[in-house]
Amino acid sequence: METYLKRKKWVAIGFLLIHSVAILIFTRGFLLTRTELPFHSTCSDVSRSPCLASSLPNHDSNSVHGSKQNQPKCWTKPVVDRVVIIVLDALRIDFVAPSAFFPEAKPWMDKLTILQMLAFANESSAKIFKAFADPPTTSLQRLKGLTTGGLPTFIDVGNSFGAPVIVEDNFINQLVLNGKRLVMMGDDTWTQLFPNQFQKSYPFPSFNVKDLDTVDNGCIEHLFPTLYEDDWDVLIAHFLGVDHAGHIYGVDSVPMIKKLEQYNSVLEKVIDILESQARPGGLHESTMLIVMGDHGQTLNGDHGGGTAEEVETAMFAMSTKKHTTPVPPEFDTASCRQNSDGKQICISSIEQLDFAATLSALLGISYPFGSIGHVNPELYALGSNKWNLDDFELGNFGAKSAVKEWMENYVNVLCVNAWQVKRYIDVYSNSSVVGFSSDDMSRISDLYSAAEQSWSKSVKHILMDSNGDENSTKISALKDQIAAYLSFFSSVVELARSKWTEFNLNLMITGFAILVISLILQSLAIFHGDKTYAVDSWLSTGAAFTLFIVLIRASSFLSNSYILEEGKVANFLLATTGLIRLRYSVMRKTMRKEGVIFLAMVSVLRVSIDIGLTKQAATSQFMSSSPSWMLGITPDHPALTYATELAPILSVFILICVLYLAVARTPNEGLWKYVTVGSMISYFLIALLWASESDIFGLDGLLDVTGGRNRIPQTVYVIALVQLFVLASARMFCAGNDKNWAIRTVALVSACSSPVILLSGKQGSMLALAYLLAGYCIMRLEGVERRSKSDGQKNFSKLNPLSVVQWTLLSICMFFASGHWCAFDGLRYGAAFVGFDEFVLIRQAILLTIETFGFSIILSVFGLPLLIPIRSQTPQAHGEKRHLLFQMYMLYGVISATTVAATILCVTIHRRHLMVWGLFAPKFVFDVVGLILTDLLICLASAYYL
Amino acid sequence: MEESNISSSTSSSIVPIPKTRERKAMKEAKKKKKPESSTGVSSDVPISSLGAAFVHLITGLSLAVGFWVARNKLSVDLVSDPSLTLFLLWSIEFPAVGLKMLAFLVLLSALLIYESYFRALGRSILGLISGAFMNTLGAVALGAPIGMQYLPKTIHWSFLMSVFTFVPATAVFGASWTDWHRVFASMKTSGNTEYMILVPAYGAIIGGWFGAWPMPLDWERPWQEWPICVCYGAIGGYVVGLINEFHFVLTFDLIARLREDNRAEFLLA
Repeated sequence: METYLKRKKWVAIGFLLIHSVAILIFTRGFLLTRTELPFHSTCSDVSRSPCLASSLPNHDSNSVHGSKQNQPKCWTKPVVDRVVIIVLDALRIDFVAPSAFFPEAKPWMDKLTILQMLAFANESSAKIFKAFADPPTTSLQRLKGLTTGGLPTFIDVGNSFGAPVIVEDNFINQLVLNGKRLVMMGDDTWTQLFPNQFQKSYPFPSFNVKDLDTVDNGCIEHLFPTLYEDDWDVLIAHFLGVDHAGHIYGVDSVPMIKKLEQYNSVLEKVIDILESQARPGGLHESTMLIVMGDHGQTLNGDHGGGTAEEVETAMFAMSTKKHTTPVPPEFDTASCRQNSDGKQICISSIEQLDFAATLSALLGISYPFGSIGHVNPELYALGSNKWNLDDFELGNFGAKSAVKEWMENYVNVLCVNAWQVKRYIDVYSNSSVVGFSSDDMSRISDLYSAAEQSWSKSVKHILMDSNGDENSTKISALKDQIAAYLSFFSSVVELARSKWTEFNLNLMITGFAILVISLILQSLAIFHGDKTYAVDSWLSTGAAFTLFIVLIRASSFLSNSYILEEGKVANFLLATTGLIRLRYSVMRKTMRKEGVIFLAMVSVLRVSIDIGLTKQAATSQFMSSSPSWMLGITPDHPALTYATELAPILSVFILICVLYLAVARTPNEGLWKYVTVGSMISYFLIALLWASESDIFGLDGLLDVTGGRNRIPQTVYVIALVQLFVLASARMFCAGNDKNWAIRTVALVSACSSPVILLSGKQGSMLALAYLLAGYCIMRLEGVERRSKSDGQKNFSKLNPLSVVQWTLLSICMFFASGHWCAFDGLRYGAAFVGFDEFVLIRQAILLTIETFGFSIILSVFGLPLLIPIRSQTPQAHGEKRHLLFQMYMLYGVISATTVAATILCVTIHRRHLMVWGLFAPKFVFDVVGLILTDLLICLASAYYL
Repeated sequence: MEESNISSSTSSSIVPIPKTRERKAMKEAKKKKKPESSTGVSSDVPISSLGAAFVHLITGLSLAVGFWVARNKLSVDLVSDPSLTLFLLWSIEFPAVGLKMLAFLVLLSALLIYESYFRALGRSILGLISGAFMNTLGAVALGAPIGMQYLPKTIHWSFLMSVFTFVPATAVFGASWTDWHRVFASMKTSGNTEYMILVPAYGAIIGGWFGAWPMPLDWERPWQEWPICVCYGAIGGYVVGLINEFHFVLTFDLIARLREDNRAEFLLA
């Protein structure tokens, strides 16, 4: 028996390892990570590039408009002075592009007629682009992607963990560094991302999806007057109406069409203002207007995933200057159709990734450090007619010269751009933990060095060469050079996409499969060496019911709604098991009191869960809050204040009494008793701390006596550590006299509980009391179904799965009742600083983990032996009990692993779901951390108990 | 076998439990003075299928009448005004169920004297109220909203559930704890009357339990509000229970008749 049980300890460690491997493999496929680099581009960097420091020195040095520059040059020569960016949230491509591009004309198409009219007019300096966004297509991630020129992932490891502020180098930051003045109006996400960068901002709250007009009207109100001002260089107006209309009514709805019509009239007016000021010397002589969506939406108004409808959005760009340079056909991405009048109409395409680089090039500022996009030729061409405006009149160059000049300019811009991207890739690869593979790096380096060599050898000389004669070899050399750069860019982007935006489905499925296999193995481990199990007919029905409950809970994770209300679901199932137990206890005419108390405790927990849910709803973007459920007592009523101050301290004293009774009732077992007495001292200290913190006891002076408010918590931690050390060494050195389970369990659980209660704050003691009572009821009710049927003495060592399920459900309820939920904003960071003022990562992380999983996992795993009813003390019964305990731990592990397997299946299915980054991924992270912690603690517990 | 009262039932349990702790025991204690009123039932006489069909029609029809009145006379339904509709439903269903049980009592036994009708009525009303209380507690434990704005809905819902579950049993069993215990906890029915009490009651409870499932979903349909879908579930479960019970009563009748035939043959042989 001894060797048999010794082997069982290894079983727990084995499952810990299998689960870790499965989760590691799955996570590598699912949670894409990217490291944020703290570096910033500066103007002087460009001297290290092989490119020409200023663009086209040969042509510009003797031309008139070199002196027209009133701003200092940075990386490239600015081609536009001001930019108006109008972001229309969730703008589908078919809102902007003419219906001729789609198989069927729908009611919401062709509403933004002004954009189409301008883009398809003859001699136009406007263009419609089909813009491709990268998932996740949520506004925040998209704005981050647009401004940094990168591919934001779910976990951008950086300094801003928790807060949305963008610390990576970005377009907005570069604008500020280069002395540009920014004005922002509309969606307040911008001010969250860039709290200090805007000179003027008019933010409007974006979270109320039902409100279609507040943000838009605010935008309109400030937009038109600002357009007449000259105190800004870049204006950003972010409209939310279309996004909200989509979320509420869907795309094919009257409000959506009204919104689009409203936008059309707004844009008409904006363009009128711009054109009226576009004369030489006017405010908008050289202004670019960009109307763009940050992402698309499905017909139901959802976005976040990676379907074509969600990633395809539109961009309209217009320069107030006339006569834009035509782009050589090699670099033209236009796709054309005949419209109903038989006229040829074309729309081009652009990656949103390229937005930051292109805008930086247009405004002549340094590109964001982490941008991996390239300057889009067509968008760049729209602005770049400044210099050939004069040349146009010279006649002897003509259109061909304009093209050549544009290409000379563009190739230099691309040179700088390629150098910048290569620099980022090199730095990233060196500094990131999970960089790129060496194969990929060498492939990219080869492409880059080839392009750079041809640049240094020939193209640079062509550009430097000032004789300006037109021969086709030079043109083709330029074209080859541009093509070489473009292929470099495309391979970089391809690599970055595969690393940062594409799930590796094979790894995900492998991880899931390993987890399922471990689940089967663990289930087999429960039944190992227990042949009579299946024969017992009642236990089979009990097991079936248990399985039913566990499966309901597991399959509830397949829907986002049930994940949001997971606490309620767990409570519902717990109450159901409680009712079943009550029915049995009434049937057997025993333990009815316990059954009723258990249900009462469940009701108490549900109230606590409700309070937690209202907290969650206040911050969650997916939940609507329903605050008015309180019973009509104002929160600052004096009686309530006294109650909230007194009740925690009272519960601590009740806990001390319970511990005292537990110690007093057991026969003399010296060591365990002293450990438990240590917990009682800890509890008393906690009560003292709380009493001195509240002002109704008049114990303010106490803190000064004890030496600051950190002294008591630190003492509690030290006591707990000493207790654990004593318990561990007692287990190691005097293994013989451990026949009494109850007192050992009480000692361990009480040692762990004091820091948990302390960290949980004042609710902690009350929750611990409820937990204790409910757990006691589960223990008493254990086996109520069969006691009268067969002799309890004979049968008590059989595993009762319902009890273990109740215990796990209870601990899940405790997680939610203690005010947690599965999101990063649900973590209570304040708890990490109980007893400490300064931040040390490891120490504070441990405290936060204890606070988060204290009730739900730590106490739950260590307290599991308390569920075994205390009856027989014979050595033979002791061996049976150890076997039973092993089974219980295995069952506990199976239940935890089942829910995690369901979560993993759920994120695999929903990996392109709207809420995958907001809801499923955090839930996945919490579950996975919980499972690993559970496995680890099961190992420790089986080392301690078995 | 029916003479046991509260003291014997509690003393027979392994752990003695104070009466005040147990609500069922409390209710029982109130009615302790008339324990004999329940005795006649379990000596079961198979009733005719025509009678069964008739009483089933009463309860089924009254539910339909309740919905019809709500929709056509007051132009409300469960979604637009749950409290009023639920009130209509249970106040129409309550007499129907009471009538059904009375009809059974009449059909079953001649032991009932006139006085008993009033007693049965009083018992039903007490059962209605205490049952509503029990149902409220159960619903709160399972997670029903506890805000003030939900209070009327919860109360009316509990009354409806009470009509489905407690009223028939109190009308027939009264305060006989042993009958309650036997039928509801042990599910040992002796005869079709008790089956008629048990099956629709469990049907309503299980239906209501399943009816709560769609509540957290984000479909934003008005019927997902508490207690509408739970009501639909409970009514659905109750109706299924009624049909099942009706079916059972018919077959039970048949089996009983067959058994009697067999016995007659056996006796003849």
